[in-house]
Amino acid sequence: MAERGAHVFSCGYQNSTRFWFPCVDSYSELCTWKLEYTVDAAMVAVSNGDLVETIYTHDMRKKTFHYLLTIPTAASNISLAIGPFEILVDPYMHEVTHFCLPQLLPLLKHTTSYLHEVFEFYEEILTCRYPYSCFKTVFVDEAYVEVAAYASMSIFSTNLLHSAMIIDETPLTRRYLAQALAQQFFGCFISRMSWSDEWVLKGISGYIYGLWMKKTFGVNEYRHWIKKELDQIVVYELKTGGVLLHPIFGGGKEKDNPASHLHFSIKHPHTLSWEYYTMFQCKAHLVMRLIENRISMEFMLQVFNKLLSLASTASSQKFQSHMWSQMLVSTSGFLKSISNVSGKDIQPLIKQWVDQSGVVKFYGSFAFNRKRNVLELEIKQDYTSPGTQKYVGPLKVTVQELDGSFNHTLQIEENSLKHDIPCHSKSRRNKKKKIPLMNGEEVDMDLSAMDADSPLLWIRIDPDMSVLRKVEFEQADFMWQYQLRYERDVVAQEESILALEKFPTPASRLALTDILEQEQCFYRVRMLACFCLAKIANSMVSTWTGPPAMKSLFTRMFCCKSCPNIVKTNNFMNFQSYFLQKTMPVAMALLRDVHNLCPKEVLTFILDLIKYNDNRKNKFSDNYYRAELIDALANSVTPAVSVNNEVRTLDNLNPDVRLILEEITRFLNMEKLLPSYRHTITVSCLKAIRILQKNGHVPSDPALFKTYAEYGHFVDIRIAALEAVVDYTKVDRSYEELQWLLNMVQNDPVPYVRHKILNMLTRNPPFTKNMESPLCNEALVDQLWKLMNSGTSHDWRLRCGAVDLYFTLFGLSRPSCLPLPELGLVLNLKEKKAVLNPTIIPESVANSQEPMNNPNNHGQLIGFQSTEDDHLVKETASSVSVHQQGVKRKADMPLGSPLEPGQIPEKNEDSKVKLKIRFSNSQEEEEIDMDTVHDSQAFIYHHLNMLERPSTPGKEQSSLELNMLPVPAAPLSVFSKESNSSKHSDHHHHHHHEHKKKKKKHKHKHKHKHKHDSKEKEKEPFTFSNSPASGRSIRSPSLSD
Amino acid sequence: MPRAATHARRRPWIQDGGHGVQRLGHDVSEIGRSAKSYCEHTARTQPTLSDIVVTLVEMGFNVETLPAYAKRSQRMVITAPPVTNQPVTPKALTAGQNKPHPSHIPGHFPEFPDPHTYIKTPTYREPVSDYQILREKAASQRRDVERALTRFMAKTGETQSLFKDDVSTFPLIAARPFTIPYLTALLPSELEMQQMEETDSSEQDDQTDTENLPLHMSTDDSGAEKENASVLQQNASLSGSRNGEESLIDNPYLRPVKKPKIRRKK
Repeated sequence: MAERGAHVFSCGYQNSTRFWFPCVDSYSELCTWKLEYTVDAAMVAVSNGDLVETIYTHDMRKKTFHYLLTIPTAASNISLAIGPFEILVDPYMHEVTHFCLPQLLPLLKHTTSYLHEVFEFYEEILTCRYPYSCFKTVFVDEAYVEVAAYASMSIFSTNLLHSAMIIDETPLTRRYLAQALAQQFFGCFISRMSWSDEWVLKGISGYIYGLWMKKTFGVNEYRHWIKKELDQIVVYELKTGGVLLHPIFGGGKEKDNPASHLHFSIKHPHTLSWEYYTMFQCKAHLVMRLIENRISMEFMLQVFNKLLSLASTASSQKFQSHMWSQMLVSTSGFLKSISNVSGKDIQPLIKQWVDQSGVVKFYGSFAFNRKRNVLELEIKQDYTSPGTQKYVGPLKVTVQELDGSFNHTLQIEENSLKHDIPCHSKSRRNKKKKIPLMNGEEVDMDLSAMDADSPLLWIRIDPDMSVLRKVEFEQADFMWQYQLRYERDVVAQEESILALEKFPTPASRLALTDILEQEQCFYRVRMLACFCLAKIANSMVSTWTGPPAMKSLFTRMFCCKSCPNIVKTNNFMNFQSYFLQKTMPVAMALLRDVHNLCPKEVLTFILDLIKYNDNRKNKFSDNYYRAELIDALANSVTPAVSVNNEVRTLDNLNPDVRLILEEITRFLNMEKLLPSYRHTITVSCLKAIRILQKNGHVPSDPALFKTYAEYGHFVDIRIAALEAVVDYTKVDRSYEELQWLLNMVQNDPVPYVRHKILNMLTRNPPFTKNMESPLCNEALVDQLWKLMNSGTSHDWRLRCGAVDLYFTLFGLSRPSCLPLPELGLVLNLKEKKAVLNPTIIPESVANSQEPMNNPNNHGQLIGFQSTEDDHLVKETASSVSVHQQGVKRKADMPLGSPLEPGQIPEKNEDSKVKLKIRFSNSQEEEEIDMDTVHDSQAFIYHHLNMLERPSTPGKEQSSLELNMLPVPAAPLSVFSKESNSSKHSDHHHHHHHEHKKKKKKHKHKHKHKHKHDSKEKEKEPFTFSNSPASGRSIRSPSLSD
Repeated sequence: MPRAATHARRRPWIQDGGHGVQRLGHDVSEIGRSAKSYCEHTARTQPTLSDIVVTLVEMGFNVETLPAYAKRSQRMVITAPPVTNQPVTPKALTAGQNKPHPSHIPGHFPEFPDPHTYIKTPTYREPVSDYQILREKAASQRRDVERALTRFMAKTGETQSLFKDDVSTFPLIAARPFTIPYLTALLPSELEMQQMEETDSSEQDDQTDTENLPLHMSTDDSGAEKENASVLQQNASLSGSRNGEESLIDNPYLRPVKKPKIRRKK
């Protein structure tokens, strides 16, 4: 077992510790812990707190690890990892221990060699020692997430380990390490009062992580990151309608539901879409940064220090557990300390960004009034489209004039659009005079491109990103060019590069080329400039002179002096030029000639780069570089000229494509013999093959990808292969492949892969709600419906992924492929009885509401009302109208829809009754044996009760309305059978676990045994099926205490 | 000896036929021997003319007639052997200068044969030193090797193909799942490790196994002590974690596993 690297670890999303031992699984219930694990002698059990001692059992074949965690900790922050780990004590900090799987020790040594600096940084800025007496990092295979933080330990994905030869992974891994450590302070040590306070923890940990990043990677990288995060959140909010950091759930009036624009509820962490949660964290740290802008960083750090010192005082109070609430952070508590420390009122800011969702969308344009020497700036806002909000308050505008750079603070008010800004300089140019920049630097500029009448060089709105906003600003192309060349802020440079895409002129070309060559310029800006240059070159294709864009530049920078067609042997000591060298060919491959083909010259150039690539003298691995060269080859592929759907064969293969294929084949085959780090080359090859298929050069066939997607390949390869299959499903509308994918979602041993498939299907859906597709059929609806209602109860991320996919495919309304609902079922609310309409087979009304919007109402409806008797479809005029109404009303009133008033009193939501109807009816009975029915009823009833608990007052009303919405039909039989069995198995495991683990609260002695001999391995309840390959299977309970 | 030979040439019986030659040899050596004896007798080391004269007289020659004989009119003059172009033939064969004798070999030994008969001369063309051609060659060579190798591997194993009708033009070695996929993905390949060692062995090398580590670490300038300490510990913990006491660092995971207390026995 140890040789195979078999190991087990706890994982999950939010509070899910209850899945592996009985506990009060809440972040706000703290207690101290004594943990004992008895494992095979070859194994190491890593858990929270201090390892007090390790004792052999008397047969000497097992050992028991005794852990003691004296700091009060929530059960949700308890974790465990057991495996044949190699142990590395941090050479700089002996209380820190690292663990990795066998054979990876050298990588672990290198990867963690940096960690002590992160420790030092956090301890210094927080002026607070790391709260726990020890820290453990464990690197595990098939991790649920890349990094998970628990009290005094973090579980990482083993794929973050890397050797000193790897460039690209190093900063990524360091960032994960730093993130994990930030969460140790805020998230593990300081826990949250309730779910709605989550943003504080995520915000603070993300914020101090940002500070670390600024210190480690520099201001440029930090600002670039902030910009990226800001762009992401803006795009997401505009797409979905907003991310709310601090939802207040009061009153239960559904109309006040703060997240009515979403297809899921944000009341519970476990109903959140994964993407939403990611964006939530992103917004949280951005808002923390806004608070910092308001109260200054010094006060900010004082607040954190205060929180931490209060918590550590409280944690040492062994006998006054009421003090422990100091270790929980709440929104109000946090705001109170801010006002205590800083004396500033940040309430408006909180109201705007925390209590309210949405971002600000500015449109800006300007005119220069020469007579008054005034800049007339017009700033409009769009606050009506979804995901936006109105902004009122100060807004900084920076104007670069001939005489220098000036900041102006405008007051954005309700009705004022125009703002007059007096200019400092006269428009007449003082020749030979240097122009001062914002940072005090003075530069010479060639001002000939300028408008002679205006002293304005460029204008920036909200340069410090102190509003969560999107700015669309209009200024002339030369202004963007000046901004790109002379503005020193990387964010401004990136903005101007994006803006220049719209101005394909020789001047833009020159500006971009200059930036590319300038070595002082931030490398990410230069990389971005490559792509912009390619776009501009394509727009200018008819007037472009000289060799293809970037070619001579690349030759000058990276090729031999004596023979310009041969690239120098690799030397990646200079990372900036390494990244540029990687990126340039990829961008160049995007060039197109007048026939919209990639120029032959470029293709030859890339093939030569591959041919002459020589890494023998290099200190670093070139796997990422080679992978990008393959990406470049893939980028150069253009659609094949197809002669009426002929079958693609070798004979009619385009000669260029033949060359490309030759390279891909060789690379892919070499990977089998000499695999590259993280198989980056295989990944790129698979992507390239899919592109060739998609463009009609190679017959479209998913078989190759399906073999690479199998369990047993490295996860990156699997994901790349699956992505290709997902794409194939979309392009070829293959039902078979879709089924294959969904089957994998249900059965794959790796939770991450299952999640990722759904995620990729959502991003690249085979069809969407407004599309006709042969794939859209009832069975698919049922399958997805089943997936999100049963069988995924242990993995919230997966369930929410299924919900997202369902939403993408079918939207909020009843899927069009389903038969229209009947109005046959009449329910009596008062008697809790349903009466069959004698004329129609009971087709209950249904609810095509977003399934997760309101789980407490939905759960039950969903399963019970659904039916699948298409042969019984009877479309009536009334049902059609109901359907439409329901759809129409969705937008504003998600839960309600009127039906003929006469029916309302007869509606009933008692599922049991419905169930009976369901089962007593129609052909389904044949498929179901009575036991199943029985079980499923019990289960559903149980489920119903559970779901009802968090319900809110006023629900009666809403659920009543809900009932009348059309519901997508899901076959009950399948649903219940499945759920029943899954529940069963879950139960089984639970039982098993409970047998094996006894645990008590802090005063009592905790006995937490985790037996680990023989093949028996528990990977908590996440595993549905066995994963024999990694030896991590759940076997039936072969032994018990 | 060469001196004796010159004397012999002056002898009238030199053309006496085979028998005479034998006698001549005898006489000449006798002359030499006696002359040497006379000179030694007079306590000299080199024979002089007088010694030879005495010897000849002793042997019964009439020394007086000798000058007359030498100046005779019908004296046969042996012309110097015609300078046949002796070197011409060997010249075709010579490959370089004959080596002169080293000092310990007397000059009378035969000369060295032509160098080509005993000196190893590797034959190659002038090495190509043009950078461009070299790069070109290295690149195409590597590509050929790779292609041959992958094709061979593809031929000997299972393959996949991108074209249904053709399996041989672009053969792809079939993907095979691993038991532990992350190992091949994360650990550097042997080739890379080799390169690492070649390019830079003084830098810290993460690829070598633990046995080599201390070696490498000792070249590390900073913190070498610490590193070594931790290496020791790894070794300790790896080798059964029983001798953890040696470690200087107090880390609970390095402590020895305790034996169970007896009273806990059931």
